[in-house]
Amino acid sequence: MEKTEIVNKLTFVFRKIFNNNSLIISNELTANDVEGWDSLTHMLLVSEVENTFSIKFKLKDLNKMKNVGDMVEIISSKF
Amino acid sequence: MRLNIISVLFPLVFFKYFTDINIEMIQYMDGIGLRWPLPEIKHMLPIGISFYTFMAIGYTIDVYNEEIKAEKNIGILALFISFFPLILSGPIERAKNMIPQFKSLNAIDFNSLSQGLRFILWGYFMKLVVADRIGIYVDTIFINFQQHNGSTIMFASFLYPFQLYTDLGGYSLIAIGVSKVLGISVMHNFNRPFFASSMSEFWRRWHISLISWLTDYLYTPLSFYFRSYKVWGIVIALMITFIISGIWHGAAMTFVVWGLLQGVFLSIEALSNNSKNEIEKKYNLKKRIWYNILGITITFVLFAVSQIFGRSNNLEMAVNILTRIFSTSGALFIGPPSNFIYIIVGLLMVLLKDFADEYYPSKFQLFDNSNKIIRIFSFSLIFITILIIGVFDGGQFIYFQF
Repeated sequence: MEKTEIVNKLTFVFRKIFNNNSLIISNELTANDVEGWDSLTHMLLVSEVENTFSIKFKLKDLNKMKNVGDMVEIISSKF
Repeated sequence: MRLNIISVLFPLVFFKYFTDINIEMIQYMDGIGLRWPLPEIKHMLPIGISFYTFMAIGYTIDVYNEEIKAEKNIGILALFISFFPLILSGPIERAKNMIPQFKSLNAIDFNSLSQGLRFILWGYFMKLVVADRIGIYVDTIFINFQQHNGSTIMFASFLYPFQLYTDLGGYSLIAIGVSKVLGISVMHNFNRPFFASSMSEFWRRWHISLISWLTDYLYTPLSFYFRSYKVWGIVIALMITFIISGIWHGAAMTFVVWGLLQGVFLSIEALSNNSKNEIEKKYNLKKRIWYNILGITITFVLFAVSQIFGRSNNLEMAVNILTRIFSTSGALFIGPPSNFIYIIVGLLMVLLKDFADEYYPSKFQLFDNSNKIIRIFSFSLIFITILIIGVFDGGQFIYFQF
């Protein structure tokens, strides 16, 4: 899957989870930049991303996601 | 990795819970006419065992997760696990922050020396002046709570969270300061917790090193495991995490209830988060002062109620205390007036400093004021206050028992 396609799909997931229709995501975006992105909503996000892309993360993948860019890399490595 | 974690955990579990379980077993076996073959072992808890156990487990998992490389120099690793300022009661540091600092130690410089000494001074003020003064009052009330009326017990219950904060918070600052004097930067353990306007925010400001440890090594794997249950998976993970955290504080039902309450508070917040956000946005509530004060008050009261369980010797006592708060009334018990006045003055100073740091971070600086005279005046004032009204009877530090 193309990275731009991943980012587009991810944008929908982020907007749904964080309830913010104007949210724009970039590679450098981290939890600190998004209102409501904490350890509680993080797992909802992870599970929604898995369902959207029909993939399964490993716990190790999770530890490597320091920003959205890492997340895109890990998703694209699953295809 | 599992073998390593089990072997590291074994001493902690043995020393913390063996005596309790053994005594229970002896009584139980006696009850049915049998002699328990193991002798009753009563031993002291090795100093700081929880804290270096947590650091060792964190290190093991970080290496396993490839977050850090395994340290080949056993001296450096031993220094990390047993770094003396942190060994008694934390902050529970991470190898990723500490080991690189140990490897590139510089000569002690004036700035970190001076910063460290300021932390130590304020830490001693929090601990010796505020925490131990509050402790005298709170102990008097809780030990004889049957003799006191509802308003007094409620007042003591509201003071107790401040005692915990200034006790561990003050101790942590001393530890952070001692490390800083040696040129080592250690994470902060408290971030003005009583200005949190929700329970989840509170737990990001209270005992940060323990909570972030629990988040990384317990809550995250658990919530990951239960993630297919969506928000309910988070609820399960929260409950397990806080119940384990409660049992770590002590093998007693009071701590289980304490953990259960935190889990319930946070779960309710997680479940109502979306609707709460919508209402806040619709009425622009987050900008209203009254709304924030309301949030801060509710958060504080909920935490204080949960701490009644943490402070009580058993569940019966906690329930009796709660009942007395609502069933009796009368004038507030003051005790020795000087102690009471010291509590109010000391606590006000801590809260005013926190208030200024929270809402006006660059104004009203005393310790860091650019004017040398103001700086020296504030150091001296705090130092003299510690000497005059500090409690120097070698009273126990609450977190030694953990």
